[in-house]
Amino acid sequence: MSAAVTAPASGAPAASRGILLILLLPGLVALIITFLLPLLWLLRASFASSAVGALSGGDWTLEAYTTVLFDPFYWRVAWNTLVVGFNVAIFAVILSYPIALFLVRTQSRFRGVLTALAVAPLLTSSVVRTYGWMVILGDRGVINSTLQSLSLTDGVIRLTNNSFGATVALIEILMPYAILAMLSGFGRLNVQLEEAAAMLGASRLKVFTRIVLPLSLPGVLTAALLVFVLAISAFVTPRLMGGGRVFVLGTEVFNEATVTLNWPLAAALSVMLLVLFSSIILLYQRALRALEV
Amino acid sequence: MADHHVIIDNLVKTYPGAQKPSVDHVSFSLPRGEMLALLGPSGCGKTTILRMIAGLIAPSSGAIRLDGRDVSAIPVYKRNMGMVFQAYALFPHMTVAENISFGLEMRKVGRAEREERVRKALDLVKLAGFGERKVSQLSGGQQQRAAIARSLVIEPELLLLDEPLSNLDAKLRDEMRDEIRDIQARTGVTAIFVTHDQDEALSMADRLAVMSAGKLEQIGTPLDIFDRPQTHFVASFIGAGTFFEGRVAGPGLAEVDGLPLLHFAGEAAIGSSIKLMVRPHRLLLAGEPGQPNSFSGVVEHIVYRGQILTLSVRCGSRVLQADLPTHAGVLPKKGDNVTLTVAPDDVTLIGREAA
Repeated sequence: MSAAVTAPASGAPAASRGILLILLLPGLVALIITFLLPLLWLLRASFASSAVGALSGGDWTLEAYTTVLFDPFYWRVAWNTLVVGFNVAIFAVILSYPIALFLVRTQSRFRGVLTALAVAPLLTSSVVRTYGWMVILGDRGVINSTLQSLSLTDGVIRLTNNSFGATVALIEILMPYAILAMLSGFGRLNVQLEEAAAMLGASRLKVFTRIVLPLSLPGVLTAALLVFVLAISAFVTPRLMGGGRVFVLGTEVFNEATVTLNWPLAAALSVMLLVLFSSIILLYQRALRALEV
Repeated sequence: MADHHVIIDNLVKTYPGAQKPSVDHVSFSLPRGEMLALLGPSGCGKTTILRMIAGLIAPSSGAIRLDGRDVSAIPVYKRNMGMVFQAYALFPHMTVAENISFGLEMRKVGRAEREERVRKALDLVKLAGFGERKVSQLSGGQQQRAAIARSLVIEPELLLLDEPLSNLDAKLRDEMRDEIRDIQARTGVTAIFVTHDQDEALSMADRLAVMSAGKLEQIGTPLDIFDRPQTHFVASFIGAGTFFEGRVAGPGLAEVDGLPLLHFAGEAAIGSSIKLMVRPHRLLLAGEPGQPNSFSGVVEHIVYRGQILTLSVRCGSRVLQADLPTHAGVLPKKGDNVTLTVAPDDVTLIGREAA
């Protein structure tokens, strides 16, 4: 992870440093305009008084934050978001791990094709895939109608319009990301290490628990982080699968910004999401360092 | 043979879809405590044999016997063999001591004994005090030592080494060569190592098994292999030499195209076709033109290599390689006419036991 950001040789002469700065400039400007300024503006908006002040400066107030921090509803929203995020991350990682492990280890000449297939769902929009899940899990969807026609159930089993549906759909939608992250994070896995362990008397189970699993943990962590971050910021899938009954930060930001037009509140919720992101990433880096020392 | 420690019996490996076997009916055996080199060019099947002995791949047919019992059906993790991999294959998430201790843990050796044996193993490979280091903090040579310690600490039946020196730089290679030999002698473990480097094989092994295209060409002591090669492949793969095709004209006397008669060591039926070889360092700057075992010609090319001078001498249609010691008085120059001679004992008859 950190190796990618190798600093230029510290003893680089001043002239080449100047050139480096010039080369960095376009990217820097783009980042400032598209990322840093909007972020600052978002922060400013979160301190504006509701209704009018959001765009036009105005007073500084903690109104939006008091709402967010003292309204139990938003605490529930934050909690829901975390629960959905953790569930999605855990199950997406568990389901993706064997696939990624197989793709890394296989000697098949179709390995490239198989890898492409594993991540091919990324080629379709997550909206389309969410609708797919609605067809499967809906009240009159594949599962319910099958169960009913087999007379296994009387009524409808609620699989959508709740966080279960949203979680299931998010798991499937985010699995390709998990697989990709693991593929790139499994660099330290190596068949020779497994052979060496076997030569030293390790059964297949021992080879897995003592060699493969520990060496693949960095990839697993990266995948979990990525999926978690994508899951807690997801909006479309919780919205559609939740049928308006699942409240997570993503859907609430959208509601406040476009339905109730309370931009300061939307901004404050976004800041909350950002704080969540940053703390998770800090935890992740801690964990990664502990693994790789 | 039957009481040998390790017996490889008609081992064959044909990979699925392959036309020819990678290992083709190879048999050899080792007495206890011997160090054998499997030598050959890449793709000759030497590594495949090593991996079959280790149990990492299954033979198509044939047997691997340790003390008379066939181990080819025993899974790799129960074979109790030590293997040193070419790239060492040390576990990167463990310390050196944890690496060495791993095999003992798998054998459920108690903690106190484990620590004691790890300490002894570290001493053996001169890594005392390095136990708590991470693998990444070791140099290439130290990683090699750690890998050897890890494979020996389990007191293996057999030590297998896959190209053990190929990842080291030249200076370290010489050092480790002696080191490995020394460790093997001290522990008395029977060892097989794979190499494509003839110097490594000649200097480290008690005996060499030379392989080509899946077949065993010859097995013998370094001296046997170098001075009495039984096949053209062995003669040309080990060391340099000039080859002559000829016909036997009398007892120990051969006719070779365009050259004087050649006396050679060994016996062959009069009139039969034979192949002879002369090593470059056996040629001397002496002899009378036209006499048997004398080659007269013009020096075409000279390479100065410190202790020796390598000449390419054109004699008619042939070019002979000769290595002369550089302290041998006046040395020839390019374009000089020279006469070289070779003792009959140093003209090797290939493919037949020397007399």
